[in-house]
Amino acid sequence: MSPLESISEKLGTTEPWIERGGAHWLPLGAMNVRELASAMNGLRARFVTITAYQLPKEEGFRLEYHWDLGGQLLGFSFQLAGNSIESIYDLCEAVDWIEREIHEGFGIDFTGREYEPLLLRKGDTPGVNLREAVAASNAVAASKEKI
Amino acid sequence: MSYKIPMGPYHPALEEPYKLDLICEGETVCDSQLRIGFNFRGIEHLAETRNYFQVIALMERVCGICSNIHTLTLCQAMEGLTGLTPPPRAQYIRVIMAELERLHSHVLWAGIAAKLMGFKTMFMTCFEIREKIMDVLCTISGNRVNYAMNRIGGVNRDITDPQAILKMVEALELEMAHTVIPIFTTSRTAISRCANIGVLTTEKAVSCGVVGPTARAAGLPQDIRRAAPYAAYEEMEFDVPVQPAGDVTARLLVRALEIMESCKILRQALAKLPPGEINTGDDKFPFTTGTATSRVEAPRGEVMYSVSWKEGSRTPSRVHVRTPTFANMPAIRWMVMGARLADTPLIQASIDPCYSCTDR
Repeated sequence: MSPLESISEKLGTTEPWIERGGAHWLPLGAMNVRELASAMNGLRARFVTITAYQLPKEEGFRLEYHWDLGGQLLGFSFQLAGNSIESIYDLCEAVDWIEREIHEGFGIDFTGREYEPLLLRKGDTPGVNLREAVAASNAVAASKEKI
Repeated sequence: MSYKIPMGPYHPALEEPYKLDLICEGETVCDSQLRIGFNFRGIEHLAETRNYFQVIALMERVCGICSNIHTLTLCQAMEGLTGLTPPPRAQYIRVIMAELERLHSHVLWAGIAAKLMGFKTMFMTCFEIREKIMDVLCTISGNRVNYAMNRIGGVNRDITDPQAILKMVEALELEMAHTVIPIFTTSRTAISRCANIGVLTTEKAVSCGVVGPTARAAGLPQDIRRAAPYAAYEEMEFDVPVQPAGDVTARLLVRALEIMESCKILRQALAKLPPGEINTGDDKFPFTTGTATSRVEAPRGEVMYSVSWKEGSRTPSRVHVRTPTFANMPAIRWMVMGARLADTPLIQASIDPCYSCTDR
């Protein structure tokens, strides 16, 4: 059994792996992120990062979780209808800073964890969508310039 | 009674600003809190406003030490989205640049570590050697820091006289083998300041997800060049040095051995540099819609880029960078716990932190 097949078995899915853009992706169906993190711990996979994407209009966010298993980069995508998802910090210590960074940059709430003071933008408000805040402040600055 | 000693954001031991609040009892550090963000430039967001030429120049400025690695990782990801494969000569030149950058980064780190040990002569020696490495980099690229070597589909400049570069590399190797490495590994000053301090156990290294020399010095044999080879690394013979102790000495030894391995790789790459083109010659790129990831073993550890593009767009829709220090820095908390206050500057420096990379 290949490492990827053993992951599928561990996660209890029959979906095929898709190799795309330098990573192996597995559609997870109804599995939640905590079940995934527990399975990755069981396989002794190394957590790499989470990449957050803001989707157009009101579609919410997409989070891509990456682990490394023996040099293979594994990718798991989660679509967020709102702006919250369960934290996996208690299961995987290595996610601490990236969860905090995404919380600070995109305003996504990783539930079930406490946030320490801001990593970035010390003294500012946590949990805001920085992109939208910057866009709004740029718009205000532009309108002042016109005046 | 415990008391808090702030170290930073401006401190002689820190190359760049960050803050380490040390909670001490007497001279012993009981715990610490890390504060970053002093170099936050919003580069990822800025990248979304730059076209496919400009974004390379922008990401080269994420870091002043491993600037080449950032463009290499970015270009590899963008090549994944355009379907372009760089010619073999370009792949070799990418390896040569990456290893020269590793050499200058490790020697720079050795110099700073020497300064923090109170070993000023060694600091000067390391910086003199580093200048010579930078001369080699400048000879190849025309630049000392931001080399502008990588482009989508290859590299911008050729190595026209590999034998001349090889001679420079051999001279450097000799100097490092005869001066830097023996002094660092045998001198009483180095050993007494580094042994058994700042220990990161293998278990903690695994749970923190540390990378690069910090991981290898904690007994984890992980190296992207070996595990998931890119550029021409599959054709190179080299060892991945691993030390189990997890202390500052182990981090020093790993980097010392990696200097020798880098020289070994450089000799192979320069000797076997294949003929041919150095890039695909394209200047318009047909990006497909999607996300591509790329990972590279930078001097400080694994760098990962996720790049998203929409077909027809000249700018990326998202560029996410996971730098090695972002993965390694939280482990400092565990390294300084129980350490003597006087050892903390050296302990935090032993991961070779880069805060500009971390904050982006």
